Amino acid sequence: MTGRAARLAVVAGLVALVVVFPLTRAGIEVNVYTEAVIYAIIGLSLNVLVGYAGQISLGHQAFVGIGAFTAAYMTTVHEQNFVAAIFVTMLVGGLQALLLGLVSLRITGLYFALVTLTYGTMAENSLFNITSLTGGSAGQAAPKPAAFASDYRYYFLCLAFLAAVLYVDWRLTATKAGRALLAIRQDRRVAASFGADLKRYTLIAFVVSGVFASVAGALLAYNTGSVVASQFTFQLALVFVMMTVVGGLRSRAGVVVGSAFFALTGFLFDKLHLAAAVNAVPLVPDLPAELAPLVLGPLLLLFTLTRYPGGFGELLRPIGRWLRNEDAPVEPPVARARVASRA
Amino acid sequence: MGQALIIGIVAGSGYGLIALGLVLVYKSSGIFNFAQGEFGTIAVYGLWAAHSAGVPYGLAMLAGLAAALASGLATERFVVRPLFGAPRVTLLVATAGVSLLAIGSEEWLGKGQLRFLPPALGGLGRVSVFGFAVSDQRLLILATLAALAVAGTWFFARTDLGLAILGLSQNPLATELMGISAPRLSRFTWGVAALLGGLGGILSAPLANGFGAGFVTLSALIPAFTAAVLGGMSSLPGAFVGGVVVGVAESVAVSSPTLSRHVPGAPSVMVFALLVTVLAVRPRGLLGSRTAAATTLEEAL
Repeated sequence: MTGRAARLAVVAGLVALVVVFPLTRAGIEVNVYTEAVIYAIIGLSLNVLVGYAGQISLGHQAFVGIGAFTAAYMTTVHEQNFVAAIFVTMLVGGLQALLLGLVSLRITGLYFALVTLTYGTMAENSLFNITSLTGGSAGQAAPKPAAFASDYRYYFLCLAFLAAVLYVDWRLTATKAGRALLAIRQDRRVAASFGADLKRYTLIAFVVSGVFASVAGALLAYNTGSVVASQFTFQLALVFVMMTVVGGLRSRAGVVVGSAFFALTGFLFDKLHLAAAVNAVPLVPDLPAELAPLVLGPLLLLFTLTRYPGGFGELLRPIGRWLRNEDAPVEPPVARARVASRA
Repeated sequence: MGQALIIGIVAGSGYGLIALGLVLVYKSSGIFNFAQGEFGTIAVYGLWAAHSAGVPYGLAMLAGLAAALASGLATERFVVRPLFGAPRVTLLVATAGVSLLAIGSEEWLGKGQLRFLPPALGGLGRVSVFGFAVSDQRLLILATLAALAVAGTWFFARTDLGLAILGLSQNPLATELMGISAPRLSRFTWGVAALLGGLGGILSAPLANGFGAGFVTLSALIPAFTAAVLGGMSSLPGAFVGGVVVGVAESVAVSSPTLSRHVPGAPSVMVFALLVTVLAVRPRGLLGSRTAAATTLEEAL
């Protein structure tokens, strides 16, 4: 009885934090929260590849960037409406992911990680500088859709997309495809001998990841109002990987919290006057808020990898169980630790 | 065209130096070390800091190499060793984290400014080689590389330590049973790899138009990896040859009028195409032999 009331109170508090709290803040601050929501979508996209398919991507800035530029191109050059632009963006995003997925069938493991790294850098230096498509170094404008021009409305639009992505992700893991991916990740040969179609499910994971990432890219473009190639650097790709790993692979809640945390690091660093604390240290130059994720993030990543491989997801798991009113699983803890460290 | 070829060969030998470190770490522990470029950048910053404090250039170079060595040993101690039994992909992400930490810290402590380094041998003198003007800094890189090639070959073929590292890469358990300490070897390999990265950094930095945070990672990590892959990830001479091939390919992409006019970022496209082609068509590299267990001298190197 009291347990149920407490659970309801916690859920109500979370809803208030996500839905009501931003309404009380200034529009410019809401832009930061919107970015956190978009980062959560990017984190979930990377989670499909790394967590489910077991394929590391160090070039995810290309996935996101292709979405951003496609949306900006459709909106500014072809003057299409939002729905058409998003539709084309998803198509292009899924297609480029499919191509990379085909490469991953032939080149695996560490070598594939290297290919994604090179792909991302090539996209940044070359693809995103094709002037007729991306506006070259000046970039491309991407005005928000008219119906969602207000910062608050746009925040809720992004929240709706996040909900849709979470739903698709849940369906992906809850169905046959999810079980097949789990089996493939744990042992390709055993999975294949049980009849799991390795190629098909790997490609499905790539396409889903590509569609998620391109949607996030489009939302990111509209949020800032423009896209430039220099946004999509190697460092950004590493931030994406960090937030997903620190969030906790294969934990939806963990990835969402981890990604939002990384998107908000600079903002929180400023808000909580941590910058002033660093700046008070003698002989050390001031740490600008925008560099905080690059300096503090890797420390958190290394700590997560060496000491706490489950990430935020592992921390959140008991809370989730309590919210669903479930008992702790009787799974042996050793086996779980091994699965968690299998990135 | 000839000039482009010479520039490519020399730029490629810089990649080769960094690729050597990548191959060394991969041979001994199977890790793709994404922090290798940052060992180079740290050395460059060390050299720059010492030189601008008035230390003579030669000593400042040693200071830079010491900084690289320290960062390599710290990475081994605090990141690689705690993750010894972890999957290789986890280690890849961890070294990428080290790289990002270094880039972020350089951006922070260097206040985001572009710095400049004078070349090692006085002014940018030019020497004529086969009728092409080549700066003496570039000749210094080639000479270093040649010396290291000989030293590396001798090390792996003739010394106990070199053989122990090869043993560790082929069968860690058997090597430990022979009374060889794996942690000590791991420390040694990471130290040498960091020094190679550092050398690559401090020799190529004066040739660039200034350097900033993440200089070596952003300018040379991908070409160096491609070079190492061209050498099958296991061959030291292969990494040299691979480095030269990548350098020439980039140089051709830059100097070819059609490519540079119609394809933005042509060198990146070239490297990407080269990497994917090699991995898809000849994954064991240009010099790699067919079987992994072969113990011919060529394979051992």
